[in-house]
Amino acid sequence: MQETGIPAGAMLFLAVKNLVQEKTRLLISVGGVAFSVLLIMSIQGLYQGWSNKIGEYIRTVPADYWVTQTGATDMFHTPSVLPLTVRDFLTGVEGVASAKPFSGRRVAFDHNGKDINLYIIADDVENNVGAPARVVEGKAVPERGEIIIDAVVGRSENIRIGDTIPVAGRTLKVAGYSEGGYILSFSFAFATKDDAESILQLPGATNFFLVTVKDGTATGEVASRIEADPAVDAITKDRFVENNTNIVRDTFLPIILVLLLIGIAVGMTVIGLTIFTSTIEKAREYGVLKAIGVSNRQLYTVVVEQAVTAAVLGYALGAGLAVVISAAAGQYVPEFITEIRWFDAGWIFAVTVAMAVVSSLLPVRRLAHIDPAEVFRA
Amino acid sequence: MNVVSVQDVSKTFGAGHTAVLAVDHVSLDVDAGDIVLVMGPSGSGKTTLLSMIGTLMSPTAGRVLISGQDISVLSAAQLSRLRLQEFGFVFQTFNLLSALTAEENVMMPLLTAGVSRKHARVKARASLEKLQLGHRLRNLPKDLSGGEKQRVAIARSLANDPRLILADEPTANLDAKTGQDVTLLLCETACRENRAVIIVSHDQRLRTAAKRVITIEDGRLTTEEGGQHDLHCRMHAGAGLP
Ligand SMILES: Nc1ncnc2c1ncn2[C@@H]1O[C@H](COP(=O)(O)OP(=O)(O)OP(=O)(O)O)[C@@H](O)[C@H]1O
Ligand SMILES: [Mg+2]
Repeated sequence: MQETGIPAGAMLFLAVKNLVQEKTRLLISVGGVAFSVLLIMSIQGLYQGWSNKIGEYIRTVPADYWVTQTGATDMFHTPSVLPLTVRDFLTGVEGVASAKPFSGRRVAFDHNGKDINLYIIADDVENNVGAPARVVEGKAVPERGEIIIDAVVGRSENIRIGDTIPVAGRTLKVAGYSEGGYILSFSFAFATKDDAESILQLPGATNFFLVTVKDGTATGEVASRIEADPAVDAITKDRFVENNTNIVRDTFLPIILVLLLIGIAVGMTVIGLTIFTSTIEKAREYGVLKAIGVSNRQLYTVVVEQAVTAAVLGYALGAGLAVVISAAAGQYVPEFITEIRWFDAGWIFAVTVAMAVVSSLLPVRRLAHIDPAEVFRA
Repeated sequence: MNVVSVQDVSKTFGAGHTAVLAVDHVSLDVDAGDIVLVMGPSGSGKTTLLSMIGTLMSPTAGRVLISGQDISVLSAAQLSRLRLQEFGFVFQTFNLLSALTAEENVMMPLLTAGVSRKHARVKARASLEKLQLGHRLRNLPKDLSGGEKQRVAIARSLANDPRLILADEPTANLDAKTGQDVTLLLCETACRENRAVIIVSHDQRLRTAAKRVITIEDGRLTTEEGGQHDLHCRMHAGAGLP
């Protein structure tokens, strides 16, 4: 007897023919997988986009360290208030090049019956701290009584340059639009240092100090010297960005997980049902294949390859749609900030293939029970 | 060596008072080039015997040897390979794969055996042409007549150059003339290539093609006679094709 390995090509050949024969079924399974890939990929893309966005402004702020009140790890959760006198301590620490106060806090106001959340930052021209990352329209630096808001909020809430908005008992005139500071539930806005101090009510205090380290100094040592003062923490810039990004993670990860599970459930159900009904309908043909010498393993391959082929087609369609829809939606809905990374495309592909393989298990079990002797019965 | 040696084989279905003794101590040797016609009333055990020879069913007692090898010791995977390489099957209901064209149906056993796609196509085409189906290569089974389907099935059964072809009522779903012509074609092709054929059929006219005719009644092999073997093994019979 001639010994050959399992000729995978033969089974793939049959798998593809079987798929193409049943065009409606193929369409349903490809559509189902495409839907779940679209769902998973868009949600993941949004999550990634928002996560990045939140760090985007913080990354532009020049600092090696963010010095916070002990226990405050980010800009949002625990408030951080530090007396301005801490600055003298910081500049006295060996290896510190500069220490500048950074003040900012969330405030909300009502606009046409809608709550608008701003994170107001003191634009401290003197210390060159707290400027908008990019100004796209109007003034780049606010003057007394003025505020620069994010272009996304301005456009979506119809707050124009020249309009006035009520902020914490004050009325400020919108002087410019900035970009890159929009984060889901709030956006960064910039007022003069004096206005910000009155809004934030921080006489003689600030929220953070931005510390830069002298060239050639081991940064870790500087941090421990700063933290010798038990009232403050020194957090590296990367760490601080990450801590702030966690806000998005904490808020959205559960939602993403639920949607991910729904996506997987939908994909598996559709592909599982189509592959199962197809296998049942073709039970006799699989019996014939068994009789004429196709091994069980080869038959399983046929079924798994059918499922995987449909899944790969569905993935291609779903991923393509996700990219196109995300790009298009971003044009019209500024909140729709997505980033689809290769890494995410990769794991979603792996999940899709796994989905197909798992959904083939039931049909494969059925195949095992087909008795080839049945093919002699009319 | 015999292609098939059935040694005192029995098959019982079920147990207790509902047990059916379908095949009852049958022994039979088939040599290369043999054309054996198996006849007998309905329910006499013909299909059961054929299934056991074809390794699709194991006997309750006795042994089946294929080319001298006791098949009871082979694993499921080894039996698959044995069927693929050594047997050709022809069924009453044709049993072509509905998604594949005539040509692709014939290619399937070749591809399964590891033959390249290109080579398999060439071989399938030649085989179908020999069976006068050169003009139907690209048709799906649903677009073929019964006789054409059975000829595709015959080409498929011959694809891997099997030693033994097992046919169960190959004529039952065809009109008398077509059925006879197709079966004669099968016998001729096999005979020309020195393959053994076992055909189960009620069709008395197939006696003309058979070398041996055996009769089974109530699971027992009752008679064995010589057939007419009136085949033009070297030359085409010239009978009108179905
Ligand atoms: N899987 C099975 N389970 C139980 N009984 C079976 C099974 N297969 C066959 N039988 C019984 O075994 C006996 C022989 O059946 P078999 O199909 O071999 O007869 P046959 O000679 O091929 O008949 P026919 O000419 O009608 O095809 C019958 O009584 C049948 O009912
Ligand atoms: Mg029968």
